[in-house]
Amino acid sequence: MGEKILYAFISVFLTINYGFLLNGLIRKIYARVGRRHGIPFYQMYIDLLKSLALRTNIRHGVMFYLGPVFRFTGGIGLFLFMPVIFGSELFANFSFSGDLLLLLSFQFFGTLGMALGASESGHPNSAIGVTRGLAQMTAVEVPFVMALMAIAVQYQSISLHEIVAAQQGGITNWTLFTNPLAVVAGMLAVLGSFMRPPFDVVLAPQEIPIGPPTEYHSNYMVYLQSNRAIYPLAKSILIMNLFFGGATSFGEMMLKTFLVIMWSVFVGVSFPRFRVEQSIRWFLGIPLIIGVLAIVYVQFFLN
Amino acid sequence: MVSPFYLLLVGLGLGFLLGLLGKKFKQFTAPIITLAFGYFTYFSISWIIPFLNSEITETIIYTAGFKPPFAISLAIGMNEIVISLVINLLGFLSSIYLWNRIKNDSVSLGTVLLVLIMTLNLIVFTRDLFNIFVWLEIIAISSAGLILLDKNKLSFSAGFKYLLASSIISSLYLLGVVLIYFTNGTLFLDDLLSNGILTSAMSVSAIFLVLIALIIELKPFPANGWALDIYEGANPAIGALMSGVISTAILFVFYKLLILATPQMFWVFTLIGILTFLFSNLMALVQNNPNRLLGYSSISQIGLTVAILSLKPIIGANTEIIAFGILIAHAFAKTGLFWISGIINGNKLEDWAAVRTRPFLLVLFGVFIFALSAFPPFPSFYAKWELMLALANHGQYFWMLLILLGSMLEAVYLFRWLGIIVKAEIVTEENITLDYIKLSPPIFSALILIIAGYFSVYFMSNTETINYLPLLAVVVLWAIDFLPVWVKNTLLIAAVVIYSYFKLPLLHDFNLIFGIIFMAGAILTLLYGYSVKGKRPGFYPIAAMMYAGLITMVEASTLFSFFFAWEIMTVGSYFLILRGKNSQPHALSYMLFSVGGALLLLAGFTLAHSITGSFSFDAFVMNSTLSPWIFLMITIGFLTKTASLGLHIWLPGAHSEAEADVSPMVSGILLKAGVFGLIILFLRMGHQYIYGIDLMYILSWLGVATAIGGNLMASFQEDMKRLLAYSSVGQLGYILFGLSLMSHLGWLLALSASIMHFMYKTMLFQAIGGVYSRTHERRMYRLGGLIFQMPMTFIVVLIGIIALSGVPPLAGFAGKWISFNAVLQQQYYLQGAAMVIAGAIAFLYLFRLIHAPFLGQLKDNLRHVKEASFWILLPQYIIITLVMAFSAIPGLLLERLGTILIKYFPEGGLTWVNSAISFGARTAISQYGYWNGTYVMIISMGIFIILLLVQWLTQRNNKKVGQFNIVYSGERPSSPETTHFAYNFYAHYNKAIGFLTYPFASMFWNKISNLFHDIANQTRLIYDGNGQSYLIHIMLFFLVSFYILFGGI
Repeated sequence: MGEKILYAFISVFLTINYGFLLNGLIRKIYARVGRRHGIPFYQMYIDLLKSLALRTNIRHGVMFYLGPVFRFTGGIGLFLFMPVIFGSELFANFSFSGDLLLLLSFQFFGTLGMALGASESGHPNSAIGVTRGLAQMTAVEVPFVMALMAIAVQYQSISLHEIVAAQQGGITNWTLFTNPLAVVAGMLAVLGSFMRPPFDVVLAPQEIPIGPPTEYHSNYMVYLQSNRAIYPLAKSILIMNLFFGGATSFGEMMLKTFLVIMWSVFVGVSFPRFRVEQSIRWFLGIPLIIGVLAIVYVQFFLN
Repeated sequence: MVSPFYLLLVGLGLGFLLGLLGKKFKQFTAPIITLAFGYFTYFSISWIIPFLNSEITETIIYTAGFKPPFAISLAIGMNEIVISLVINLLGFLSSIYLWNRIKNDSVSLGTVLLVLIMTLNLIVFTRDLFNIFVWLEIIAISSAGLILLDKNKLSFSAGFKYLLASSIISSLYLLGVVLIYFTNGTLFLDDLLSNGILTSAMSVSAIFLVLIALIIELKPFPANGWALDIYEGANPAIGALMSGVISTAILFVFYKLLILATPQMFWVFTLIGILTFLFSNLMALVQNNPNRLLGYSSISQIGLTVAILSLKPIIGANTEIIAFGILIAHAFAKTGLFWISGIINGNKLEDWAAVRTRPFLLVLFGVFIFALSAFPPFPSFYAKWELMLALANHGQYFWMLLILLGSMLEAVYLFRWLGIIVKAEIVTEENITLDYIKLSPPIFSALILIIAGYFSVYFMSNTETINYLPLLAVVVLWAIDFLPVWVKNTLLIAAVVIYSYFKLPLLHDFNLIFGIIFMAGAILTLLYGYSVKGKRPGFYPIAAMMYAGLITMVEASTLFSFFFAWEIMTVGSYFLILRGKNSQPHALSYMLFSVGGALLLLAGFTLAHSITGSFSFDAFVMNSTLSPWIFLMITIGFLTKTASLGLHIWLPGAHSEAEADVSPMVSGILLKAGVFGLIILFLRMGHQYIYGIDLMYILSWLGVATAIGGNLMASFQEDMKRLLAYSSVGQLGYILFGLSLMSHLGWLLALSASIMHFMYKTMLFQAIGGVYSRTHERRMYRLGGLIFQMPMTFIVVLIGIIALSGVPPLAGFAGKWISFNAVLQQQYYLQGAAMVIAGAIAFLYLFRLIHAPFLGQLKDNLRHVKEASFWILLPQYIIITLVMAFSAIPGLLLERLGTILIKYFPEGGLTWVNSAISFGARTAISQYGYWNGTYVMIISMGIFIILLLVQWLTQRNNKKVGQFNIVYSGERPSSPETTHFAYNFYAHYNKAIGFLTYPFASMFWNKISNLFHDIANQTRLIYDGNGQSYLIHIMLFFLVSFYILFGGI
């Protein structure tokens, strides 16, 4: 057990740093697409240090204080409950605690905790952000769960390890090729959880401060930023494991997750932002239909 | 045994004597009459005891020294003497009720009453057709006299119409008698039977004339306008006599002569009876005059009894017992209600709201209403059970359907009336004066109903035992209702504890699980009661009644005892819900869905018995073409209680308008009764197919729709109790879905969800009750920031919502995990995905529930709110302890449930393996995945604590700031009200998919209700108040009946 904990620390440390750099890179890409020079790729570290160096920090109450802790726990937990690299003892993490469904449900741990903390600040914009986030999340879930269900049926398992194992032995064994409908539905759905356009009205980062973190600063911000480094990565590791054959090395993991995240970046830089009701309607449109088709496909044609 | 001659002697002798004595001895009239009726009653009792001991059989008494046909003979059998007892008892009670009128008015009232009751006795005993005619005439004359007791326009008009109607009736009867004498040469009933020459066309017509005359006397639809006017216009005491006494006697005469009828006649009379039952109940729906409503109700009950008696060739030996059960309940309940009407003197149903100023009167009223609507423990309940059993056994499905429909309509107006009485605004200023002389007859009636109910069980076709012990608690608590709350609460809790201690070890498997939910639930919800001060009149008996019903339900082993417990529970919960301040319409809708459900159960149970012949739950193990339909009926019956989509519309109002501690009772606990019923049924009937469609498949979609619909609707509520109520709808959808999977994991989901829902909903409703107790506000946007004021309650809600939302590491996740595995196993993929989505929607309302009241901005008027009281918090923290235990070690609950389920579903269960950590941390392994709740708890808590420590270490100078110290563009928020974002919380969501919550179900049921009311309004237009129209109705009725009988249909 002791070494497991040590491994966990190592894998979190490596991944989170990769996440910081990746986020910096993405911001750079965004700037270049907008014909701006942009920030240096290591800007995230500067931001962290700046936040940490703030001399005043305040709280609105207990839940406010705990909100970022919940949020970051959710991010790290999601990562740690997942086998990151197939066949690696170091990166197997605590995946023995539960399967795919644990991951699916645990991602809400942070969301809920953060929502509670943000609410306690008493800032209306925080609450507005939370309602937007929750509402959009329920719609994102619809096609995503359909995709997961289709995959679970296809592999007759909800153990992530087994799902990855089944995709080994060549690119044609990837879910992408064996069950394309599920992958399409899943990839459309995940766009909603990367906080990029057209689905980023929850945070609305370019406008007046709005969204759950409105009131957060200093160390809280460090946690939230760090979570923003690890959480999307955890999510893309999940995607990689489900759809793209998993990874057998850290390098492969980096490449695949980079591409998964780039998918959301491509969409993000190309499209304007949806209002919440528009994004809900969108997720309950084409992605839902494809999701249903994916299930119908595995139920009647695959087996 | 007293000779019946003395009836004649006393009746006529005293009648003449009183006339001779005249006004001088007026003050003795009332005692003399009452004594005479006392003597009449003694006469009946002196006969009934030897009959009950089987010492005598039917006795024939000859008169005038000749045998029939030269003189009249009287026959006294068991049936006759029961009817005579009813007549004499009610006569006796009537005389007490009319005591002051008899004393103050003219002597003639007493004399007429005396002659009437005497005549009614004799008409029951006599065996001579002409003699019956004579008595009928005397009854008509004396009734007419009584109708004119009150000297007003309505009663004069009613009396006149009555005379017109009875002259036609007499003519028809006399014509029949003449023709019978002409064709058979005798009017002695036994001779007519033994001669056996009643087959000629003329004989048959003659018999029809006699019988149809008696039926018209019993006020069949639609030839009963005259009777309705009597009920409305005459003194209620006379209404009581007409409805309870005269009708009873005439009904018996009809029954006595019914043996002369041909088989076709039985059919026609059944049809007449049932149509009368149906249409009278239908028209009573739109009736606002209490006496006329009682008139409709009387006519319907008598119609039903006519139908039952006419079904004798089909039902057989049980006919009398069934008919008498209905008749006795009708006679005593209806007279009781008429008597109360005389005390109230109101022309509108709303005027009766004054009844509740006298709780005793209210209890009496309740007894009569429940006796009429065939609830236990009244004789009508047993009778209706036996009736359905007999009809089912003989394949009379059409009659069953019509009777059930009529019973449903009957429940609508009776319970609407009851609701008005308990809740409507009291319009009259003056208090009801309680005259104990007038009050004693209804008290006696109620007592007789209860006693008759107690003995009814001995007359059932199957030997049934009823556990009265829990019901005893109801009686005891009612008797000590004057004591303060804490005494009664302690007693009831003690009773439950003691009862559980002895009874729980006797229960097994599912009964044990639900037994624990019901009994532990009782204790946990009752603890809250200590926070209430004062006496809380009426609460404890009805709470005890609901729990008595629930507890006896898990002990039930036969269909009947289950149904008995089910109905007791319904009554108790109905009153509990009705106690809420604005709960009248919701309690009514709860009751109507319950009654509808119960009638379906009744039909389903009896049909199941008719196929298998079993009285136990094994009756459901059948293989017949009917079985899917039976399955459907019983399932829908139970689904009314679990509030599945479409049948849910009663729940939000009922649960949210109930008192603070009643909400957890009816939500966390009561709903599980339906689940328990479904389990009993599904276990034995399994998959059923209609046209090749698996009904379980349909139910699984219903479960999904209920879960999504309930959760969506919960998200759009502004009222926190309504939010929780809709959340229950959604949660019950999960349970239904689990059950419909019919697999080990599916049922594991259903059982664990039942237990979890019980815990979450109990503590959340209690927590919200605590908030309401301090703020008196249920609209969430009016609250806010209460986390500072009520931290203990906040923690409960916090844990409640995390657990309920299924987020690991708390126990709710188990449900999600099992559900996903179960759907994979069962290949219900789309439903499974939809269930996960329903779970996501649950976040919306759960977050709202904690944000709007507890977080955000504290309002100025709530700055001094205190934490909820100890007794409100105690049960919540007991539950929290359990939730945390089940979260840390899921196997504690799930493994145990698994060992129960493996007996019924050996395949596809979970395997539990030990893991590295020794303290009970076992990993659950399914066919598809694995999960170790203890690890998840330890790991997530570990990360949380490390991060918290780091934050604490790096933020040593963290300061708490004031409420308005927020980033607000350099401004200061003007007021908490405008800064607290809580109203119309999910406006965008509503805009996107709010159309799904359009109240389709309410609209559907409203349309149905309006349809019935419209039909009723149109139908009652035939009663135009014109005596001539009424005569035409009678003649048309006669002609149509004649045509149906002889016209070849």
